Amino acid sequence: MSFFKTAWFKCIACLLSIAVISGALLAVLNDALAVSPEMRTMRAIKKIYGEEKEYSVVLDIDSKDDTKNTAIVYDGVGSVNKIYEIDNGDILFQTTGYEGYKNGTITLWIRTAKTGNDYSIEKVILEKYEKQTLMSKLTGDFYNGFKLIDATAAYNDGSLFTARDKTAENYNPVSGATYSANAACNAVNCVIRYLGENGGNA
Amino acid sequence: MKTDFKKIAKDGVISSNPTLKLVLGTCPTLALTTAAMNGIGMGLAVTFVLIFSNVIISLMRKAIPKEVRIPAFILIIATFVTIVRLALDYFLPDIYESLGLYLPLIVVNCIILARAESFASKNGVLASAADGLFMGVGFTTALTLMGTVREILGSGAIFGHKLWDFSIGFFSSSAGAFFTYAVFIALFALITDKCSEKSKHKKANDKIKENA
Repeated sequence: MSFFKTAWFKCIACLLSIAVISGALLAVLNDALAVSPEMRTMRAIKKIYGEEKEYSVVLDIDSKDDTKNTAIVYDGVGSVNKIYEIDNGDILFQTTGYEGYKNGTITLWIRTAKTGNDYSIEKVILEKYEKQTLMSKLTGDFYNGFKLIDATAAYNDGSLFTARDKTAENYNPVSGATYSANAACNAVNCVIRYLGENGGNA
Repeated sequence: MKTDFKKIAKDGVISSNPTLKLVLGTCPTLALTTAAMNGIGMGLAVTFVLIFSNVIISLMRKAIPKEVRIPAFILIIATFVTIVRLALDYFLPDIYESLGLYLPLIVVNCIILARAESFASKNGVLASAADGLFMGVGFTTALTLMGTVREILGSGAIFGHKLWDFSIGFFSSSAGAFFTYAVFIALFALITDKCSEKSKHKKANDKIKENA
């Protein structure tokens, strides 16, 4: 019985009790407050449109449907992770741009609207990033720099976005954060390439 | 022993203000005060953790062996920080995103550990809850005021609403954070010193009048 009165037993028992009770409480709350991928998508839609909208999934890497969960990868540029058709005819993309600072990535939501057979980029917002340290330099003005471009024409002319080539038509730089701006440009270029390659069938 | 709630309130908000007097929790203070809303979000998150961790630690103060009190405090604090994270991600995703890495780092916030060690582990539940509340109010007020000044000067906006196009980029930078913090500490010291001098004079005058 003296074993149960030792200081070290009391210490271990105390810490274990706290850990077990905390663990049980957190397990319940983790289940109750879990945010599903669908909720996250709806949040992104709300951020872009200011309200919730109905959508259908064209591509979603988190989808359980094997025919819709393969990302479209453009080597050295980026990947298209999600494509949703919104009920108003817009197409919403989530793309990841490669070659940011320290080879990190930037993931963006990009809203496109269709006029005839052409698509234009209407809005670009940040979803997340990896390894980037100067993201505060990528302000609203930078993201607005991608707006209203005729994506189809840009693809046909080969005038993709760049943060490095001053002579390029679609030059969208950020002073002091060129690598991060490059990754963001690559993310937008994924959409331009996708729309250019798939045309009216996007 | 009767709890002096007035003293606890005065200590938390003014005489032992964790940010402006004790200079604790400087990491989130400097990093997150680029906007007033961030200050409020961080302040309220810390206040929640302070109140509940203080209450639990006070309740368990006789059951926790002194050899393992710090790991036990950290376990309790980490539990409440995780609850705040889950709740913010679910109910207030924008604030959750803007607080980013600094939200889990509340676990090692010295204000919370300091109050657990120096107050909650030695006082009753009500007093500990009041201490957590007023320390949190002091922290939230300081962060919100700093965030407001830096947002107005650094971004020309307040609570995300644009006021004018004029802005001084310096105030959004790390150097601007240190500068603003220094100015706030100096102003707070100046005001509290003047107030305590006034109250000393008043007390002395009252004593003279009494003697006369």
